[in-house]
Amino acid sequence: MTCARIREHLPSLLDDRLATAAAREIRAHLAGCPDCEREFTTLSQTLIALDAMPAPTPSPRLRARVYAAIAAEQHALRNPVTSAEPAAPVARKPATRSGRSLWFWLVQPLAAAALLVLGFTLGNRSIPATAPVTLPSATPTTTPAAADAATQRELADLRKKVDSMSQLVGYSLLQQQSRSSNERLRGVLTSAAVEKPDDKTINDLIGALALDPSANVRLNALEALYPHADQEVVRAGVLTSLPREQSPLVQISMIDFLVASRDREATPALQKLSANPQADLNVREAAKRALTQL
Amino acid sequence: MFTAAPHIPVDSCSFAVNHPADDLVATVDTLAPTSDHELMLAVRGGELDALGELFERHHGPLFGFLVKLTGHRAAAEDIAQVVFERMLKYRHTYRDEGSFTAWMYHLARRCASDHFRKTNAAPHATDPVDLQHHADERPDAGETASTGDDHALLHTALARLDRDDREVLLLSRFQELSFAEIAGILECSVGAAKVRAHRALHSLRMVYLKLQKEPLT
Repeated sequence: MTCARIREHLPSLLDDRLATAAAREIRAHLAGCPDCEREFTTLSQTLIALDAMPAPTPSPRLRARVYAAIAAEQHALRNPVTSAEPAAPVARKPATRSGRSLWFWLVQPLAAAALLVLGFTLGNRSIPATAPVTLPSATPTTTPAAADAATQRELADLRKKVDSMSQLVGYSLLQQQSRSSNERLRGVLTSAAVEKPDDKTINDLIGALALDPSANVRLNALEALYPHADQEVVRAGVLTSLPREQSPLVQISMIDFLVASRDREATPALQKLSANPQADLNVREAAKRALTQL
Repeated sequence: MFTAAPHIPVDSCSFAVNHPADDLVATVDTLAPTSDHELMLAVRGGELDALGELFERHHGPLFGFLVKLTGHRAAAEDIAQVVFERMLKYRHTYRDEGSFTAWMYHLARRCASDHFRKTNAAPHATDPVDLQHHADERPDAGETASTGDDHALLHTALARLDRDDREVLLLSRFQELSFAEIAGILECSVGAAKVRAHRALHSLRMVYLKLQKEPLT
C-alpha cells in the first residue's frame, strides 16, 4: 500500500469497530515510515483531545421542561376528551353551538326551577325545627338584617370548611413521601393556596423544603413560604435548610429568600457558603452578593 | 432504517410546571424494564413515566453532542428538549427491533437540522459561555497553553468543520453506536459513513493543528 492509502486507513486503527484485515500491514508500514507514524500520532492525539473535552451539563430548566412535557402528555392521556377538544374539527363547531343554545333555552330554566323548589323544600324542613326552640319569646319571623347576618355566618363557616379541607388535602399529599413527586408537588401547591395557613401547614412546607428528595418540590415549598417570610419560624426553617441543600438552584432561591426577608441572622451561614470551595460557583457568588445586600 | 418523524419547528413549547426525576424513576423501577429498549417500549405502550428514566440516562451525552454540534449551550438545551418532546409525540413510531440510542440521535439530528434551518446560520466559533475555558486571552496566552485552552481550540476546530463532518465525527465517538446504526442515523451506507468519519477526523486534525500554531485571539 502507498502512504496515501495507508493514511486513509489510519482511523481504523483507532477504533475497534473499524478493525480491518489490513491492520497488520498498516502497523508494519507505520514502523518503517516516520511521516505516516507522525500522522497517526497526531490523529490519535486529536481523538484523545476530542474525547477528553469536558462534558457540559445542561441547566435544571431542561429537566424541568422535559418532566413538564411528560406530565402534560400524561394529563392529555388521562383526559382525552378535554385535550381532544381544541383539535376537534372546526366544521363541527356550529352544530355544537346550536345544541348548546337549545340546552340553555329549554333545559336550563327547568333545571333552575327544580333547584329552586328543592331549596325551598330543604329550607322549610330545617328552619321550623330549630326556630321555636332557639327563639321561644322572639317574633316568629326573622328580620332581614338577622337573615343577612346568618347568611354571612354560614358563608364564613363554609369558607373555613373549604380552607380546612384544602389544608387536609395538603397535609395528606405532603406527608405521603411514598407518593410520586407530582402528588407531593400538588400537596405543596394546595398548601400554598390556603389563604391563612395554620402552623401545621407552615411546618409541613418547611419540612418539604428541608427533606423532600425532589428539588422541584423543595423549590415550590420555598415559593409557598414567601408570603410568610415575616414569621421567624419560616426564616429559621429556610436558614437551617440552606447548609444541607445540594441543588444550586434551590440554594440560590433560598439565598434570595433570605435577602428578601432581610434576615441578618443569615450572615454567618452566607459567609460560610461564599467561602465553601465545594459549593457551586454561582451559589458562592449569590451568597457574596447577598452579604453585600444584607 | 428509521421511521421518519415529521419535521416540526423547534420553537415549540415552554412549560411552567416542573416534575423532577426521582419519583418517576422509582415508579419505573417497579415496572422493572431495565434496558433502554424496554423502557422505550413501555413509553410507547403508554407508560410515559419511563421516559423520565430514559432522560436521566441519556440527556447528558445528548446535550454534550448537541453543544459540540451547535456550538451553543442555549440552542443545545432547546434542541434536547425538543428531542424528548418528540420522543413523546412520536413514541408510536419506535420499532420493536429498534435501538433506542440510534433512534434518539436520529431525532436529535432532525431537530438540529430544523434548528439550523431556522436560524439559517452556521455555528459560531465560540460561545460566550465557553469563554471561561480560556484561562488567559492575552497575546502570549498561546505560549502557556493550558488544558482549558486546548478544549477551547478543539471547540473552535469543531466549529470550523462542515456541519456534516462535525455530525459524523461526534456520532462516531459514541462507542455504543455501531457504524450500521450511524449509517442509519445519517441515512447513508455503512461504507459511506465510515469514509465520512475518517475524512472528518482528518479534517479536524488539520484544523486543530493549525489552530495550535495560531493561538486564539
